[in-house]
Amino acid sequence: MNIDLFATTIALLTFFGISAIMALSLNLEYGVAGIPNFGQALFVSIGAYTAGWTYTRLLPLLAGEAVIDPCGSTLGQALQLRSTIMKTMPTVGLTNFVITLLIAALIGGLVGYLASYPALRLKQEWYLGLVLLVGSEIVRIVVRGYEPIICGNNGLSAIAQPFHWLRDSTLSSLLFAGLVLTVAGLVYLYCERLVRSPYGRLLKAVRENDAVATSLGKDVARIRGQIMFIGSALAGVAGVFFVVNSGYASANDYVVALTLDVWVMIVLGGLGNNRGALLGALLITILDRLTAITAIRMNMLGFQWEFNYVRYILFGVILLLMLRYRPQGLLPEPTQTTRAHEMLGAEGVAK
Amino acid sequence: MSTTLLIDSLIRSLQAGSLYALMAVGLTLTLTVIKLPNFAHAELITVGAYTALLVSLGISAKPLIVLGLAFGVAAIVALLCHRVVYRPLAQQKPSTYTMILASFATGLIIRYILFLLAERFALFDLRIGVPQAIWLQNDWVTLTNIFFWVVPTSIALVIVLSLILNYTALGRDMRALADNLTLARIIGIPVDRVHDLTWLLVGGLAGVAGALWGIYTFVEPLVGWLAILSVFAATVLGGMTSFSGTILGAYLVGFSENVIMQVLNHYTGLDFSFKPAIPFIIIIFVLLIRPQGLKNN
Amino acid sequence: MLELQNVSKHFGNLRAVDGVSLRVPQGQIIGLIGPNGSGKSTLLSLMAGTVQPSGGKILFDGHDITRQTADQIFQRGLVRSFQDPSLFFRMTALDNALLPVNAQRGERPTHAPWHHLWRQQEQTLASRAGGVLDQVQLGKQTNTLAANLSGGQMKLLELGRSLMGAPKLLLLDEPTAGVAPALAYTIFEQIEHLRATQGITFLIIEHRLEILFDFVDSLYVMHLGKVIAQGKPDAIAANAQVREVYFGE
Repeated sequence: MNIDLFATTIALLTFFGISAIMALSLNLEYGVAGIPNFGQALFVSIGAYTAGWTYTRLLPLLAGEAVIDPCGSTLGQALQLRSTIMKTMPTVGLTNFVITLLIAALIGGLVGYLASYPALRLKQEWYLGLVLLVGSEIVRIVVRGYEPIICGNNGLSAIAQPFHWLRDSTLSSLLFAGLVLTVAGLVYLYCERLVRSPYGRLLKAVRENDAVATSLGKDVARIRGQIMFIGSALAGVAGVFFVVNSGYASANDYVVALTLDVWVMIVLGGLGNNRGALLGALLITILDRLTAITAIRMNMLGFQWEFNYVRYILFGVILLLMLRYRPQGLLPEPTQTTRAHEMLGAEGVAK
Repeated sequence: MSTTLLIDSLIRSLQAGSLYALMAVGLTLTLTVIKLPNFAHAELITVGAYTALLVSLGISAKPLIVLGLAFGVAAIVALLCHRVVYRPLAQQKPSTYTMILASFATGLIIRYILFLLAERFALFDLRIGVPQAIWLQNDWVTLTNIFFWVVPTSIALVIVLSLILNYTALGRDMRALADNLTLARIIGIPVDRVHDLTWLLVGGLAGVAGALWGIYTFVEPLVGWLAILSVFAATVLGGMTSFSGTILGAYLVGFSENVIMQVLNHYTGLDFSFKPAIPFIIIIFVLLIRPQGLKNN
Repeated sequence: MLELQNVSKHFGNLRAVDGVSLRVPQGQIIGLIGPNGSGKSTLLSLMAGTVQPSGGKILFDGHDITRQTADQIFQRGLVRSFQDPSLFFRMTALDNALLPVNAQRGERPTHAPWHHLWRQQEQTLASRAGGVLDQVQLGKQTNTLAANLSGGQMKLLELGRSLMGAPKLLLLDEPTAGVAPALAYTIFEQIEHLRATQGITFLIIEHRLEILFDFVDSLYVMHLGKVIAQGKPDAIAANAQVREVYFGE
C-alpha cells in the first residue's frame, strides 16, 4: 500500500495542532490550576456544534442566500448550498469561520464557567469531575437523539475548512495545517505567559491549598471560574478546527474516549508544564496515526481483530504506567515558573 | 393516559429500580470502604452481562448457573483491577484525582477489550439465551419470568449484602474501615484482606446486576456505561454514603425514568430521547440543592 | 488596636475559649502563653477570622470584625501566621513570599499575558521580597522549593511571608518552634526590629518563655479557655497561680 508521505505529514501536523490546543487547555485547568476536567469532550463538542449551526444557518445568510433546513427532506439541497458557497466564495467562508471561532470560544467558555458553579457547594472536589463527565455524555446522547442541532444521529457533512476553495487540495491542506499550527502556537504563548505571571503563581497556590489561599485574601471561587472559562473557550476553538478538518459533525466523535486521549497527553507529557502538553500531544498524535495505519495494514493482511480498539487500550495502559512509574510526566513541572525569579537576578541558588 | 400504560411503566420502574439498587450499592460500598470513586464500576456490570451471554450461549441457559458465573467472573475481574492497578498505585499515596484517573483508564481498557472481542466474534446486540415465558397475565398486566428473576434476585442480593454488613465479622470490619481507616489499622484489622474481599463482593454484585440487566434489555460493550449514569444518580441521592438512601434513590431514578418520562411524553409530547437527561438533572439538582441527598443529617 | 470583648467559642460541650477579654495596644509586642490545650491557637483563629466566635466582640482598628471572613480581615491588615507552616510546598520561597501581596496587577487574567502591564510592579515586589527574605536569612534560598527547606527555614519563610502583606498587626503562633536557640533569638530580634522600624504590632504565642520574657511588653496567660493572668513579665513570673498552672500539674 502506498502511503503518501507528504499528505500524511500534513494530516499529522494538523491533528497535532488541534490536540495541542486541547492539551494546553486541560493542562491549564488541571496541571496548573488543579481543576479536574473530566468533561473535555463536551467543550470540544460545543465547538463542533457551533460550527454545525453557523455553517447551516449563518453561512447562507452571509452569502446572501436563504437558509435551508439542513435536516429532513431539504438535506441534499442544504448540503449542496454550503458546498457551493465554500467552493466559490472564499471571503464569505473565511468570515463565517472566524465568526464560528469567536462564538464557539464564547459559548464554550460560558458553559465551562457555569459548570464550575456547582463545584462551589460540593462536599468533595471530585464531584465536579463526575458532573463534567456525566454532562459530556448526556449532551452527546441528547444531541444524537434530538434532531435540530446537528441532525441527530445523521450528523452534518460538508463543514469545510476555510481554504477549501483552492483547487489544489494539497495546498489547501497545507494552508489549513499552517493556520492550525499558528493558532496552537499562539495558544502556547498565551498559556506560557499566563503561567509565568503573578496569575500563574495564584493558580498554583489555589491548586495546592485553596484554604490557605483564601486566608491570604484570594478569591478562589472566582479564579476557578475564570480558568474554566478560558480552558473551555480554548477547547471550543479546538472543536471548531476538529470538525472543519474532518468536514463532518457527528456527536459520536465526542465520546468519553476523547477526554481520555487528552488526559493521556498531559500526563505523558508532564502535568503543569506547557511544553510537556505539546510533547504529549505530539507523541499521542503520532501513536494514534501509527495505530490507524497499522489497523488498515493488518485488515488488509486478513487480520481479523479490529485494531482501532487497540488504540484505546494502548492509551489506557500508557496512562496507568505513567501514573505508577512517572507521575510527573516526561517533562516535569519546572520549579521556578514566574518571571519574578529572573527579575531578582542571580541571587538565589537553587538546591 | 391508559391504566395499562401506567401499570406497565410502574412495572418497568420496579425492574429498573431494583437493578439500579443492586448496581448502586456496590458503588457506595467502594466509596465508603475503599474510599475510591470507581469510574470503572460500569465495566464490571458489562463484564457480568457478557459472561452471562457467553454462558447462556455456550454452557447452560439455567438462570442460576448464568447468574452464578456472572458473579464469579466479575468478582475476579474486580479483584484483578485492585491487585494490578489500584493497590500498587495506592502505596504511592496519590491524590484522589490520580486514583480516579486510574479507574477511568482501567474502565476504558476493559471496555475496549470487550469491544475487541465483540467485534471479532460478532457479539453485538444479542440477547442472553434465558428462555422467556409469560407467568402472569390478566386484563391489566403481563408479567414474564424475567420480571420474577430480576426483581426478587436484586432485592434478595441487596438484603444479603445488608446482612453481611451488619451481622458478619467481615461486615463489621468493612464498616470499621469505612468509619476510620487509621484506627482500623491500629486495632489490627487485616485491611488488605478486607479490601480484597470487598472488591470480590462489589464485582460479584455488579456482575449479577449486569447479567440481570442483560436479560432485561440486551448486551453490548456499552451496556454498563449507559446504565452508570442512572446508578450515579442513585448514589448521589444516597448522599454517596448511605445504603438506604441509595436504594431509595435507585427506585426514585427508576420511577423518574419510566413513569415520569411516560407521563411527560404523553401530556407534553417530550421525546423519549430526552430520557438519559433525567439522571443527569437529578444529579445536578441534588448536588446543588441538597448535597447530602435523601440522608437525614 | 486590637480588642476582644468577652469572646467565646464552643465546640459542642467543649469551651475552647471562654469569655476572653484582652487588648493589644498599637506598636506593642504582647505575649500569649499557657499550657497546651488552653485555647491559645483557637483564640488566634478567632481573631484571624478562620473560626467564627460563639459569642463576644472583636474590634480591630476601631472596626467590628467579629463577623468578617478571613480574607476580609487579612485585607484590613490583621495577619496570622500558622503553627504548622502553611506554605505552598510546590512553589519557591520567592513565590511564597510574593503570593500574599494584595492588588497585584499581574494577578488579573486580563492583564496577566501582557507583561509590560505588571512588569514594573513585579520587579518592585520581587526586590522587596528579596529584601524580606534576606532579613529572615533566606536570601540564598529564593529559588528553592519550599518543600526542600529545613523546618527552621520554613518557619522563617512563614514569618517573611507574613511581612509581605504589609500587616498592621501580626499574630504569630509559636514562631520559634523547632528552631535552634541562636536562630530563635535572631527571630525575636527581627520582630523587635520590625516593631521599631515599621511600627508593626505583635501578638505572639510562644512556649520558650525565657526568650519571650526578654522581648514582650506584657503577657496574657490562658488556662482552660480563660485568661487567668495578665501583666508585665516580672509580675507574671512571680504570679503564684501561673506557676501552679505551669509547674504544679
